[in-house]
Amino acid sequence: MFSVMKKELKTYFCSPVGYVFIGLFLIMFSIFFYVDVFQYGSTNFEYIFYSGATILTFITPILTMRTIAEERKNGTEQLLLTSPLSITKVVLGKFIAATIIVIITEICTFLYFGILSFFGTPHITTALVTLLGFLLLAISYISFGILASSITENQIIAGVITIGFFILTWFLPNFSEVFTNFSLINMFSKFPTGQIDIADTVTYVTFTILCLLLTVIVMQRRKSVR
Amino acid sequence: MNMLTGYIEQTEGEIIIDGYDMLKRPKKAKREIGYMPEGVPLYTDLTVKEFVTYMAEIKRVDRKTRKERVEKIIEQTGLKDVEKKLIKNLSRGYKQRVSMAGALVGEPKILILDEPTVGLDPKQITEIRNLIKELGKTHTVILSSHILSEVSQICNKVIIINKGKIVAIDTPENLENKVSNKNCIYVTVEDTEDKMKDIKDKIKDIDKLELIKENEDGTKEYMIESKEGIDLRKMLFTELAKENITIFEMKKADSTLEEAFMKVIEGGNK
Repeated sequence: MFSVMKKELKTYFCSPVGYVFIGLFLIMFSIFFYVDVFQYGSTNFEYIFYSGATILTFITPILTMRTIAEERKNGTEQLLLTSPLSITKVVLGKFIAATIIVIITEICTFLYFGILSFFGTPHITTALVTLLGFLLLAISYISFGILASSITENQIIAGVITIGFFILTWFLPNFSEVFTNFSLINMFSKFPTGQIDIADTVTYVTFTILCLLLTVIVMQRRKSVR
Repeated sequence: MNMLTGYIEQTEGEIIIDGYDMLKRPKKAKREIGYMPEGVPLYTDLTVKEFVTYMAEIKRVDRKTRKERVEKIIEQTGLKDVEKKLIKNLSRGYKQRVSMAGALVGEPKILILDEPTVGLDPKQITEIRNLIKELGKTHTVILSSHILSEVSQICNKVIIINKGKIVAIDTPENLENKVSNKNCIYVTVEDTEDKMKDIKDKIKDIDKLELIKENEDGTKEYMIESKEGIDLRKMLFTELAKENITIFEMKKADSTLEEAFMKVIEGGNK
């Protein structure tokens, strides 16, 4: 598992993918930071993460779309499947690697926290709760991205499916109240106020586990029906 | 092949690798196999050393000996010069070696190579073949190939599979001999007085004598067929000398593995 994780991290940083993800996120985050802090004069670190969640919605596929689709296309999947590693470990390795990239990104955002504490007194606890919520949102996004990547050979299709699904869950509550609890990004809204909502946390975690499990099942199925 | 390596699950039957069932104990079974897939899939973003190390990791090579093992394999497959290069920048021949190194690094008992020499130039082909021969001394090597001359050169045992069924298992020599039921000799002679036709009457064992080709320098090539188990060459030599016919070339026709293959496959289709 850790060998897969190590190799995935290596490819994230040997190819532009990792830098593009972190860079893109930080650039957009900076823009929102600028708008919030300088235009509205707020020193609230947490609220920028509402925009952060929006950014994440659009750039998660950068991390996830290649994970399994690329392996299948290049045939390197054969190397993994004929090795003693179980499929679960392969999937988990890839998932953890992508999560680590998000954690690195979150650590980078502390820079903004530092700037804010120079001018005002932002709350460290709410900031940490926000980051926890953001991480939970990220893992559920990543796990869905990996699932999308496992069902197709084409990276672009995997990416489009991922973004499409996120946008769908984002706007569904606008059509009917029923969908409010299905919206991943809406569940994030309580974290920046400093609350850790057990229901939301559990939903994120179960959604992640569900997606990862489905990924394993999809790969297992491919193995027997080919 | 894919089922054998555990890439696809088998639809029926059992796969037992060194005593381990592929379905029940896949981890143990897969450890005994080194697989070099067709078309050499590789992680092109890694360097040669990184790739081999990664393969060692996922093949569960013991942490303590891993580094040594990787070094040794890189040495053995002749990749020392390029170990720090990215795989995507390597030539096809080197990629093939990297793939081979990846298959070997887990110290497998069985090495499965799928079309190992496709797309290589003649020099690389000989290199890879020599490597395979070398490995054959210490490992069980299963080689799949469409190039039959390669098979007869390298392998000790040939299995011909037609439409999923084994149609022949034997050594390449035996397979070749099975087909050569006729005794056939090709002679090229200088025969100015055209006496070759009479030879047939002189040597009784000749079944058939046929002119194949008249060369530009005046020599003629004949095909002489005889009954099985009789070597005509000695007799031909003395007779032709008596008749004042000069022999330029005389050779016994070998049957190749190709012919054996065709015959076996055709037999299976009937």
